Amino acid sequence: MTVLVTARPAEAPPAVRPRRRRARRWAGALYAAPTAFMVGMFFLVPLGLVAWMSLHHWPLLGAPELNAPENYAGMADDELLSTAVWFTLKYTVIVTILLFALSFGLALLVQHPGRGIGLLRTAYFIPAAVGFASASLLFLGMLSDEIGPVNRILESLGLLHGYVSWTSGSSTSALSSAVGLVLWRFAGFNMLILLTGLQAIPVEVYEAARLDGASRWQLFRRITVPLMRPTIALVLTLMVTGSLLAFDQFWILTRGGPDNSTTSLVMVIYRKAFIELDLGSAAAISVVLLGVLVVFNVVQLAVLRRRG
Amino acid sequence: MRRLTGAALAILFLFPLAWSAFASVRTPKGFGLENYARLFTSDNGIRFEHVFNSVSVSLLTVGGTLLVSTLGGYAFGRFSFPGKDALFLLTLAILMVPYATILIALYVLLGWIGLQDSLIGLSLVLIMFQLPFSIFMMRNSFEAVPKELEESALIDGCTSFGALVRVMLPAVRPGLITVGLFAFLTSWSEFFAPLILLNSTDKFTMMLAVVNMRTASFGAIDYAALEAGVTFMAVPCLVLFLILQRSYVRGFMSGALRG
Amino acid sequence: MCSTVAAALLLGAAACGDDKAPATPANADSGATLTLWTRAATESVSKAYAAAYNATHKNQVQVTAYPNEEYPAKLASAAGAKALPDLFASDVVFAPQYASQGLWLDITDKFNALPVKDKVAPAHVRNGQWNKKNYAVPHTIDMSVMLYNKDLFTKAGLDPEKPPTTLQQFADDARAVNKLGGDIHGTYFGGNCGGCNVFTLWPSVWAGGGDVMNAEGTESTINGKEMSDVFALYRKLYSDGVAAPASKDEAGPTWLGALQSGKIGIAPAPSAWLGLIEEKATFKLGVAPISGMNGGESTFVGGDSIGIGATTKHATEAWDFVAWTLGDEAQVEVVAKGKGVPVRTDLASNKYSSADPRVVTINNLMGKGKTPYAKNFNATYNDPQSPWVTAFRGALFGDAKKSLDDGATALTASLKK
Repeated sequence: MTVLVTARPAEAPPAVRPRRRRARRWAGALYAAPTAFMVGMFFLVPLGLVAWMSLHHWPLLGAPELNAPENYAGMADDELLSTAVWFTLKYTVIVTILLFALSFGLALLVQHPGRGIGLLRTAYFIPAAVGFASASLLFLGMLSDEIGPVNRILESLGLLHGYVSWTSGSSTSALSSAVGLVLWRFAGFNMLILLTGLQAIPVEVYEAARLDGASRWQLFRRITVPLMRPTIALVLTLMVTGSLLAFDQFWILTRGGPDNSTTSLVMVIYRKAFIELDLGSAAAISVVLLGVLVVFNVVQLAVLRRRG
Repeated sequence: MRRLTGAALAILFLFPLAWSAFASVRTPKGFGLENYARLFTSDNGIRFEHVFNSVSVSLLTVGGTLLVSTLGGYAFGRFSFPGKDALFLLTLAILMVPYATILIALYVLLGWIGLQDSLIGLSLVLIMFQLPFSIFMMRNSFEAVPKELEESALIDGCTSFGALVRVMLPAVRPGLITVGLFAFLTSWSEFFAPLILLNSTDKFTMMLAVVNMRTASFGAIDYAALEAGVTFMAVPCLVLFLILQRSYVRGFMSGALRG
Repeated sequence: MCSTVAAALLLGAAACGDDKAPATPANADSGATLTLWTRAATESVSKAYAAAYNATHKNQVQVTAYPNEEYPAKLASAAGAKALPDLFASDVVFAPQYASQGLWLDITDKFNALPVKDKVAPAHVRNGQWNKKNYAVPHTIDMSVMLYNKDLFTKAGLDPEKPPTTLQQFADDARAVNKLGGDIHGTYFGGNCGGCNVFTLWPSVWAGGGDVMNAEGTESTINGKEMSDVFALYRKLYSDGVAAPASKDEAGPTWLGALQSGKIGIAPAPSAWLGLIEEKATFKLGVAPISGMNGGESTFVGGDSIGIGATTKHATEAWDFVAWTLGDEAQVEVVAKGKGVPVRTDLASNKYSSADPRVVTINNLMGKGKTPYAKNFNATYNDPQSPWVTAFRGALFGDAKKSLDDGATALTASLKK
């Protein structure tokens, strides 16, 4: 999978007698038991309940009634849902492209040790110290007209005249606020991941290619990118999954507006469950969303395995 | 040129936090700590029990995550057992489910086992949400340890557990620190899970109190106190970040996140 | 005694134990600990009620407040897990929905046995009803009024003691103040906030004799003459620059701040802000009822309702608290003393209110105002993703007629769900 210097042990346990091997299998299962318990109890059981709920009309108190496939069929007529689907897809594409470019760029910037590089790396990574809800609140204040510096600075630079609201002025500015927040918060994290992939490529490979007369761009295209494929795949997966499930930034920063232009899928699930009190439909949308994500990840894994 | 771009970007990245700290000490009369005073004394501000609860939940989450992911990472990285791949994929699948979906079901579940409105119940849920990243990280960390290290311990007569404790743990220390740090960061700033899973005010965490400052009455965000809250909550995280820097960077670099 | 097995299962012993007569003090104040949930906006009042009650009773009420926006999610989750608190308050416009879902206990008989039952804010009581049964009573009252800056009025050449009595006059007064120029503006509104708008614009429709919905809350009439005229008036105020430009994006959080700045001439706002604005202000504030296009007065009787959680084990004790909050002592010594509006119509003039004639004006509006009734109020009007937000933004900033017509259809569909 990777061209790496550190020894990568085989998956199989050390070659030992069958009885020892069976003992090792038991040991392995035992070590994995807490994980299995947590995943089973706190993830699979609730998930099963959600799937079950999606087949019913599920009032808050009182008995549920089976109504499959109404909750699923009703999704087709839901206008807000289709707006949210389109928006979420558009948002995912925008964020993935921008965030990937930024993170990769930062990784390239700090990959070679030098004076102050450590400081730069820390600076880029520091936003990860702030929780996402906190970060959203931070941006809410920073972009506000009341105490935020952004409008003051733009005014003094002569770029801004009069009043503007970044988080609800227009769909473009609202989207940009949310994208800006995400870029700030996650670029450093993804930079670190990409950095590990970058630094795993042995210097000799580059040198050999350079001796053959390859240009910087060719080095990048022919060596860096292919050898980083698994890392890139991991980063892209995290970005796409995270964007499809985006909620906090829209809930706190833009409230889905203006005019529902930044309403994401999970916001619709939230609204269905907690405002319309329609737990069955909310569960149905969740199941479909989960299905989409599973399919996407399986496809991505298969593609990766074939090329790797 | 590269340095210049790098430095400019660094300033951009540091700006929001720096501004938040700046805004938190700015008052109508100049500078002072009155925003922090409001943060702690206003009706729905932060109280000592909030701090205590946040610390408890974070410690429980960190401890629990380290325990489960170390054992689990060891299992995935070094053993083969029935259901290994399935369990691993299921663990990663946790990343694919949004909070809103699963929180009511978790609330019901915690009620069934008598852990509703408890910090322990909340911590268990937060541990679960940490598992994808932690197990992935620890699995790769364990895989990266040279086989010879473990084998020599086994030959010396250690059980696998002994090998784990004596030999493997020190070898995967950067991974452990990374997992612990991220578990702390997430649980410290969690908002939605404590909101839904906790009922009594005396069990609330700090983040809930800070968000309460957002909409005190019909309108009226106390922005300055809000930024004070954000800064206050970010300080321990930043401190930990800077102290543990070398370790978690090494944790990332040890090939633990190569994909 | 217990009418159905389902009710017994759901409500446990509490339902079976209900009497038709009000609970005798002996078993109602048994020293139980009662949990009360409320939203952050109402926290101080709920806590004041609880503190006064706790001081004089064996039962002890513990209040927990949740962030406003996430409070519905909290209630829904607790209900879904059959773990509601003993008492909970909610925005009065959400009361029909919660009542219809059975989140509160049926208190019809208990309520009808109260001596003050006809003197309790009738609009609120109606909202706590579902299928002619009572589930909630008024907890706090917050009404919409016109607040105007007397200093700016004087500067603009208007008589500060003669506030407008028609909406047209309101618009003229706003224009006069706006002429002062600089960063002074005539008026302000929440152009991106569903809840703010229903609160401030609907009274003008009611004062003019019209309505925005049918009585059952299942059909929208916002494309009727009265509502269209009101929107047209505000629309012109915005396009002429009389309403501050920030109004368009105002989603609620900075509404109070705008009025506190002292740069707005006259605007409809919550009556509870009278105190909040004055405590920081260098100007004097005047209060006037919201009027219709050509006269009349009305108000949106908002605030919170409170009821007994359906899954409680202390129904009798919980009712003891609720009934106490409707009594004289609570309404005068807790609410009126705290500068709130009593929920009792017969206590509008009390020993604390008479100190400030503006407070008496506000209190008396309760009889002239309405609380709109709709089961799906939140999803239809309040929520940022509601069809109401789309409709009124179109009416104020886009194609007015089309938005109102389309809006009426969309709102009706949402109300009927």
